[in-house]
Amino acid sequence: MSFDGFPPFISAQLHYLVNHFPERIKVEQVLSGGKTYAGGLDRFTLLIPYCLDYIKWDIIYNAEFPLAPPDVIFGPEDEDFHPLHMTGSVGEGDLKFQNILSDWNHKDPTRLLALIQELRDRYVAYQKKRVGEVDDDRLKFEISTICSREGIEMQISSGAEKPEEVKFAVPLMDMNINKMVHGCPWRHPQKIYLQVIYPVGKKYASTPSPPRLKLMSTTELRALFSIEDVKLPSWLDGMCMAEYLPHLEESLQKQVVEAVSLIDIRRRFIESLAPLFGRPLEADPVFCRKATFLASSGSFVFLVHLLISTQFPKQQPALMLQSSQHISPQGIPKKSPLLSEYPWSPRWETSQMAERIFDFLADESLNFKRFCSESQPQH
Amino acid sequence: MDNLPLPLHKLAVPGPTLASMIQRLSSSAADVDGLLFGHVTYIAPSTLPDDSAHSSPVSQLLATISGFLCFPSLLSFYDSLGRVDPSRLSSTTHLIGWFSSRRKTPLRPSIREFCVTRSLSSTPNLPLPIHNSDPESLFAPSIFLLFTTPLQDQFIQTNQYRAFHFQSSRPCFNPLSIDVVNIGPAFRGHYGSFSPTSALPFLSCELRSLTPMNEDRNEETLIGMKQTEKDQSLLDTCAEGMQVGRLSRLIGPEATNYTSGLEDLYEKMLLKTESLARLVEASSAKVLEQENHDRKLRYKVARSVGVE
Repeated sequence: MSFDGFPPFISAQLHYLVNHFPERIKVEQVLSGGKTYAGGLDRFTLLIPYCLDYIKWDIIYNAEFPLAPPDVIFGPEDEDFHPLHMTGSVGEGDLKFQNILSDWNHKDPTRLLALIQELRDRYVAYQKKRVGEVDDDRLKFEISTICSREGIEMQISSGAEKPEEVKFAVPLMDMNINKMVHGCPWRHPQKIYLQVIYPVGKKYASTPSPPRLKLMSTTELRALFSIEDVKLPSWLDGMCMAEYLPHLEESLQKQVVEAVSLIDIRRRFIESLAPLFGRPLEADPVFCRKATFLASSGSFVFLVHLLISTQFPKQQPALMLQSSQHISPQGIPKKSPLLSEYPWSPRWETSQMAERIFDFLADESLNFKRFCSESQPQH
Repeated sequence: MDNLPLPLHKLAVPGPTLASMIQRLSSSAADVDGLLFGHVTYIAPSTLPDDSAHSSPVSQLLATISGFLCFPSLLSFYDSLGRVDPSRLSSTTHLIGWFSSRRKTPLRPSIREFCVTRSLSSTPNLPLPIHNSDPESLFAPSIFLLFTTPLQDQFIQTNQYRAFHFQSSRPCFNPLSIDVVNIGPAFRGHYGSFSPTSALPFLSCELRSLTPMNEDRNEETLIGMKQTEKDQSLLDTCAEGMQVGRLSRLIGPEATNYTSGLEDLYEKMLLKTESLARLVEASSAKVLEQENHDRKLRYKVARSVGVE
C-alpha cells in the first residue's frame, strides 16, 4: 500500500502503524481536509480488527498544523466511549495515555501506533463493561467463568431491527502454530478463534436458545489447515463455554498437529513424481500445496500443475494442463479445466500414485493437444 | 450551580450570523474552531388551556447565538488533551459555547471535542446569568456546534452542521435543535428580543437654566473642562464629529429642533461606524498577511521530517 500524497510526517506514522500493528489493519477513505489539495491528504479511516470483525475509526490529522496530535472519531454505535474519561480505570494506564497525547512528537513514526494500540485496549475494556451491564443471568455467568482467559474480546451489537446480541471472540489453543511449520513465511502469528454469539435473553423465555458458534482463523492459516473441514462438537442444552471449550480445543489441537504432519506426506508425494516427470519447475517448499512440472507428448510440450489440498491423500490432487505452444487471442496460454476425476485410492503407495497420474496424463494430454489445436485458428 | 436541571430546549441563530460563520469556515484553508457568544433566556411554561395538545408544560431554556469569534489555528484556547486554558478566556463575557469545523469528516463529536466541551462547561467564572430567571441560576458554556462537509463532495458544496448540548452529569452530548431566525412575518416577535450590545454611554446631564453666566462658568472652570473632555471622549466612541455641547440642545427648552438634532446625531454615529469598518478592514488585511506567513512556516516544519 503506498501512501502518496500524504505529508511526510503523516505517511511515516501511517507506514509504521500498518507494518507493525500485530494484526492486519486497513486504511480507506483517504481525504484532504484543506480547501485545496495543496496541503496534502490528512484524514483517513482505519479498519481495526476487533472481535473477528472490524471497527472503523476516523483519524483526523491536520496538514496545516503538523505539531498537533491527530483527533479520532469513533463509530456511531460507540457514542459513550470516552477513552480519556473512563471511570474506574485509574492509575498508570490513564497517565500513559495522556502522555501519548500531551507529548506528541510529530517526527516520531511510532506515535500513531502507540495511540491506536492504547485506544484499542481501552475499547476492549469499554466493551467488557457494557457487556457486564447487560441484564442476562446466563451472560453474567459466562463472563465470570470465561474472563480469566487471555485475549477474549466481546462486543454488544444491537440494531433497530435486530435483537440485542453479545458476540465473544475466544482465541483457542495456546500453541504457536508458526513455530510448528518448518521455514514458516507467515508474518503474523496465526490463530484460531471461536465466535460465540449469544442472543440477549428475554426474561420470559424459559430455556435460553443456544449460542451460534463459528470457527474462524487468520487467513494465512488456510495454506496449512482449513477450518471449514472441522466439525464443531454440538452444544448441549444448559452447557456453558467453560465446559465446551476444552473438548473443542483438544480436538483442534490434534487436527492441527495432524495437518502439520501432512506437509511431509505431501512433500514425499511431490518427490515421488520426480522420477517420472523430472524435477519440478516450481514447487511450494513450505506447505507443499503446489507443484508444476514440464512434460511432453511427442512434440507437444506442456506444463502440468498439481494443486494438492489439505485433505491429501484422502482427496486426490487437482491437475491442470497448460500448453506452451498455444495462446488465446488475449495472449493467455491455453489451459485445461481442473481435472480431479481420475482413478485414485488413498491407500496406494506414493510411487503407485505417481504412476497412475502419469498414465492418466499420458492419455489426457492427447485430448488436451487436440483441444488446443482445434480452438486455434488454422494458419 | 453551573448546570441547571432544566433542559436546553433549542438553539436560535440569526440567519446572518450563521451565514457569516459558514462563509468564514468555508473560506479558511484548514480546520478551524472558535467561540460562540450569546445569551440564554428562560421561557416560562405556557398555562393557556387551549394550547395544542403536545405543548410541554416543562419550562425551558432557549439559547441564542449573537456572535462568534473564529481562531485561525487549532489548539487555541485548549491543549492537545482538550483542557481549556482559563487564562485565554479571562476577558470573554457572554460565552455560551464553542464550535468546530472540519472538512470531510463524519458529523459526530471527536475525542478532543468531547474533552474541550467537558472542560469548557466546568471552567469557573464563565457561566452566565439566565435572562428572565432568578439571578442565582447560571448557564455554563456547554453548547457545541459542529460543521463538516460530506465525504464525497465534488460539484456541489454542502455544509452540514449539528448542535449539541453537553450534559455534565452523564457526561454526554445531547442533540440540540437549531432555529435559524430570519427576517419575516413569522419572526416578528424576535424584534422585541433584540437588545443592543453597545448602548450609548451614560453621560452626566443637568437641566440648568441657560444664562450666559452659567455657560461661561461651565466652560472656564478646570473641573468643568475636564468633565467636558471626559464626556467628549465617551461620545467619540460611538459618534464622529459630534460636539458634546450640542447634546444639551436635545433636551430641555432648547429642544425645538429635536428631530434634526437627532438625525444629526445618528448621521455622526453612522460616520463612526464607517470609519470603524475601515479600521477593521485594514487590520483584517494585516491579520491575513500574518496568517499566510505562519502557514508558510508550518509547511516548512511539516516537510522537514526525516531531515533530522
